[in-house]
Amino acid sequence: MSEQPFKVSIPDSELDFLRKKLELTRFPDELDEAGWDYGVPLTDVKRLVARWKDGFDWRANEAAINALPQFTRDIEVDGHGKLNIHYVHSKSEAQNAIPLLYVHGWPGHFLEATKLLPLLTSADSDSPVFHVVVPSLPGYGFSETTKKKGFAASQYAEVSHKLMLSLGYTEYVTVGGDWGYWITRRIQHLYPDHAKAWHTTYPRGNAPQLTSNPIIWLRHLLTPYTQRDREGLKRSSDFVEKGRGYNHIQSTKPQTLGYSLADSPAGLLAWIYEKLVLWTDNYPWSDDEVLTWVSIYWFSRAGPAASIRIYYEITAAKDQLDTPGAKLSNPFGVSFFPKELFAPPISWAHTRGNLVFKSVHDRGGHFSAYEVPELLASDVRRFFGKGGPAFGVVHGKDGSPSN
Amino acid sequence: MTKQPFTLHVPDSELEYLKKKLEVSRFPDELEGAGWNYGAPLNDVKRLVARWKDGFDWRASEAHINTLPQFTRDIEVEGHGTLNIHYVHKKSKLESAIPLLFVHGWPGHFMEVSKILPLLTAVSPDQPSFHVVAFSLPGYGWSDAPKKPGFAAKQFAEVGHKLMLSLGYKEYVTQGGDWGHIITRTMQQAYGGTHIKAWHTNMPTAGPPQFSKTPLQFLKFLVTPWTPKEKAGLARTMQFRQSGNGYFQEQSTKPQTLGYSLADSPVGLLAWIYEKLHDWTDNYPWTDDEVLTWVSIYWFSKAGPAASVRIYYETNKAGDWTTARWTKVPCGASYFARELVQVPKPWFGAIANLVFTSDHDSGGHFAAFEVPELLVGDLRKMYGVGGPAFRVVPGKSGYATA
Repeated sequence: MSEQPFKVSIPDSELDFLRKKLELTRFPDELDEAGWDYGVPLTDVKRLVARWKDGFDWRANEAAINALPQFTRDIEVDGHGKLNIHYVHSKSEAQNAIPLLYVHGWPGHFLEATKLLPLLTSADSDSPVFHVVVPSLPGYGFSETTKKKGFAASQYAEVSHKLMLSLGYTEYVTVGGDWGYWITRRIQHLYPDHAKAWHTTYPRGNAPQLTSNPIIWLRHLLTPYTQRDREGLKRSSDFVEKGRGYNHIQSTKPQTLGYSLADSPAGLLAWIYEKLVLWTDNYPWSDDEVLTWVSIYWFSRAGPAASIRIYYEITAAKDQLDTPGAKLSNPFGVSFFPKELFAPPISWAHTRGNLVFKSVHDRGGHFSAYEVPELLASDVRRFFGKGGPAFGVVHGKDGSPSN
Repeated sequence: MTKQPFTLHVPDSELEYLKKKLEVSRFPDELEGAGWNYGAPLNDVKRLVARWKDGFDWRASEAHINTLPQFTRDIEVEGHGTLNIHYVHKKSKLESAIPLLFVHGWPGHFMEVSKILPLLTAVSPDQPSFHVVAFSLPGYGWSDAPKKPGFAAKQFAEVGHKLMLSLGYKEYVTQGGDWGHIITRTMQQAYGGTHIKAWHTNMPTAGPPQFSKTPLQFLKFLVTPWTPKEKAGLARTMQFRQSGNGYFQEQSTKPQTLGYSLADSPVGLLAWIYEKLHDWTDNYPWTDDEVLTWVSIYWFSKAGPAASVRIYYETNKAGDWTTARWTKVPCGASYFARELVQVPKPWFGAIANLVFTSDHDSGGHFAAFEVPELLVGDLRKMYGVGGPAFRVVPGKSGYATA
C-alpha cells in the first residue's frame, strides 16, 4: 500500500483488556532497603501500575501523539516481503530543507524524537531546517514486524533507506543512537551515495588497534586519560558488569522473555522503566510520561515480544560489524553526553568513521533527543548548517531557511 | 518454632486466582521455523497453559507431594533472624543409616529428591541405606525467604548445617548440584571434617587450576592432553555460556526487575522455567503434568517466584564463585553427559579431594530426577562396602552390621 495518513487509535477493547490485566496484578516482595540495587523499586512499580489502572488518560495522550504527522506505507524487504511501516514525516516549510532520517533504538520508539521536530523543521535565524522522517522500526510502535528469521542490521537499514527513497529523498542524512547507531552505520556501508552524512550520540566500537588505526592508537597510548575519560571508562565497565543482563537474555532467548513481556503489563513496565531511569541523566519523568512510553510498547502493533528480537538477529548475523576493508568516508558527527551507557575516550570516536564534528556536553544521557532536545538539535544544526563540516552534502538541499 | 509436620495445601483462592490469570493470558507471536532457537516454542507454551487452566489437577499433584514426609522448623541465621524452613525428612528403617542432606538449585526444588528417596532409604545387605533430608532453600518451595540483603552461600550453608544439627545429625554427608553444588562446597569448607564427612556433587565445576594455588594440578593441566570427551564437554560449556547464560546475567544483576514478570505472569514464569527443563536435560520425556507440577511449585511458593532468583545476585556480590579451595573432606563427583558445565577432571581435582568419580553417557543437569538409578548407583558405590567413603560417618555405615 502506498502512503496512508495514520492516526493512533487503540480500540476500547484493548483499553478494557489492559485494565482487566492490571486489576489482576500480583506484585513480588522486596528486600529491606533494596533501593535500586536489585532493579526497579517496588514502590515505583506499584505507584505506576495504580495510575495506569486508574487516572492515566490514554486517550488524552493518544490525541497528543496524533498531533504528529503520521503515515504508513508498505516497504518491500528482500526475503521478508512487504512490511507496513509507520512513520512520522514532519516537513519544513522551506523547499530545500535537508531530508533527515532519525532512527530510534530499544527501548525507544518514534515518540523520542517528538521534541526535536519543531527545533529541526522551523526556521530560526540562520539555522538550517530539515524534513524529518522518524520510522517505527519493524516490530516497534505501529509498524508491522517480520514473520521470518534473519531480520538484522542490513534489513533495518534497507527498510529505512527504502522509506526515504519512497518519500522522494534520494539523498539524505541520518541521526541515530542505540540500535539507531548500528542501523545508520549499516546504511553507511550499504548506501553511502544516498546517506551523505551521519550523526550519532552512541559511537560504539572497539579500542583503537595498532593495525587498523595506528595514529589514534599511538595517540591513545601517549596521551593521558582526562578525568572525563576515566569516569567514562568506569561508567562503561559498570554498565557491562551490572547493567547488561537485559542484553544477554534478549540476544539469546528473546522468545522466552517475550512471554512475560506480552502477558504482564507490570512486568513490561518494570523492564522498560528501569532503563528510562538508569539510562537518563536524572530526567524528571512524570508518571504519565512513563506510562505513555510503556503503553506504546504494550499497544504496539506487533506486541512487545517482537521488539527485542533485534538483539538476537543482529548478534547472530554479526552484521553490525564493519564490512572488511570498507572505510566509511562520509562526514561523521558525534555528540557526547555524559550519562550515555558507554563513555569511552572521545579520541576513540575517530576510529568509527570520518569524524569531522564533535560536541561534548555536561548533561544528558542515552535518550538525548528526549532529555535535552535543544542540545542535540543545536549540534545537528551546527553539523549540517552553513559553516559546518557537513554543509551542503545533499545536493540542492542545504537547509537554508530563506528559500 | 520447633519441628512441625507439614502438609501442603494451597488455598482454593490461589487456585481460582491462577485460573483467572490464565484465562486472560496474552501470547506473543513467533517467527516461522523458530524451533527452540529463540527460546521456548509457542505451541508448547500454549499447550501447557491450556492444560494448566483446564485439565491439570493440582490437588492430585499436591497429594503426591504429600506422600513425602514433610516438616517445617525455625532456623536462626546470623544477621538474618529466624527463617521457617520447609523440608522433607525420610528416615531409613535402619537406625545406622547414613544421614544425607540433598541440596537443590534453580530452577529446582525439594521434589527433585522424590525419585531417589525410596532408593536411598531402602534397606538391603547389598547396599548402604541413608536417612535423607531435602530442604527447600530459603526463597523456594515453602521455606521463608530472607528479608535482608546479603543472604549468600555462607547463609544458605548455615541453614543446611543447622537443619541437620537440629535433626540430631551431628555428622553427615551431602549431595548437591546447581546451587546445591556451591552450597555444599561452602558447607564442607566451613563444617567439613567435624560435621561433614564427605560430599558428592553431580555438577563438578571449577576454573582452570592456578599455579599459585595448586602447582601440581596446574602442571598436570599443562601436560595432560584432553580426551575427546573432555573436549566435547568444554564445547558444551562454551555453548552454554554463549547462548544459554542470559538468565544468569539478568538474575545476577537485576533480579527485582525480572521478578515483577515472574510474579505477575504464570505464562512468563512457565516459559522461563520450562526452557531450562528442556535445554538442561538429556531428552527427558517430560509429561505436561510433570512440567506443570514443577512450575506450580514456583507459582504457589511461600515467598513467590521473584524471591528465588535473588540467590544469583547475592552470591555474585559475595564472590561465592571464587571461594573454592581444596579441603581434605572426601568428595565424589558424577559426570553426566548433558550437564551444562563440563570441565576436565583435573580442574575439579584441584579444589576437591576426589575419592570417587563416575562418568555417564546419559543424564543432564537434573540427574536426581532424570536418571535417579544412576545417581543412586554412584552414591552406593561411593559409600558402600569397599567404596572410598565407606563408614565415613562413624557408627552410621548404612548397613545392619555396622
